[in-house]
Amino acid sequence: MTIPATWEPLTAADPVLTIAQDLFSTMIDGEPGHLYPWMGENPPLEDPRYAWVDVSGPVVTRVMLMAGRATGEQLTRALLQMDDSEAVSDADFADAVGEIANVVGGNVKSLVTNPGALTLPVVTHEEPDMSKAFCLLETYFGWKGAPLGVGLWALAS
Amino acid sequence: MKVVVADDSRVMRQIVIRTLRQAGYDWWEIEEAEDGAAALTKIRASQPDFVLSDWNMPEMSGIDLLKSLRREGNETPFAFVTSEGSPEMRAQAEKEGALFLIAKPFTADVFRETIDPFIS
Repeated sequence: MTIPATWEPLTAADPVLTIAQDLFSTMIDGEPGHLYPWMGENPPLEDPRYAWVDVSGPVVTRVMLMAGRATGEQLTRALLQMDDSEAVSDADFADAVGEIANVVGGNVKSLVTNPGALTLPVVTHEEPDMSKAFCLLETYFGWKGAPLGVGLWALAS
Repeated sequence: MKVVVADDSRVMRQIVIRTLRQAGYDWWEIEEAEDGAAALTKIRASQPDFVLSDWNMPEMSGIDLLKSLRREGNETPFAFVTSEGSPEMRAQAEKEGALFLIAKPFTADVFRETIDPFIS
């Protein structure tokens, strides 16, 4: 008999993973276990999209979700309970993926002492210029076999 | 029972309404509003029994919507469903007269446990 390994005691210490897993298990998958830490090097994203919210303050902090277009479409279908064959409009895509970034950002903000206001989500095809930003954290998850990333950056004022 | 659900995300309004149904409130007559300003107009017109609002919205935020209602003497029961559930925001919501604040993500059980005590 093979007993599956349980990594939960190690991975549960990651607050971003905990936030993302809560979000996916309650509002996207309807059950836990489908979002897991991505093992190995940060993976490339196919046809990537970027969704973020900023937390204002002396140092503006950006919480950004990164996923391939196809993964974003699957997330949109899951949130809207659409069939796999249904086409996803750009408006629904931006709304759904932006809302995921918003929920992750709001929960991250709740862990920070004296945070500022949260901006409305922004969703783009082009990667935002983060050359002057300081990366606080960048982590990748696997969902339905595809990677998606979450990053926290301190933006230069 | 007439209820206004305010959120600038159509996706989130749909999820909130779906979760309300799953929690057993399928008898509620729900009207949607896409931001705080639209919600204010709809609340004035339809005089709902309850308002469930996001916090961070364009045009008018949820907390400004609540303040506007109370300023004009409108005491419609009001609660938040928002991505931020910090103690500071919960305290501010309570200070302005909100019944409760549910943080996203949420489940039907959370809705039921939080809302049921206020239904009677």
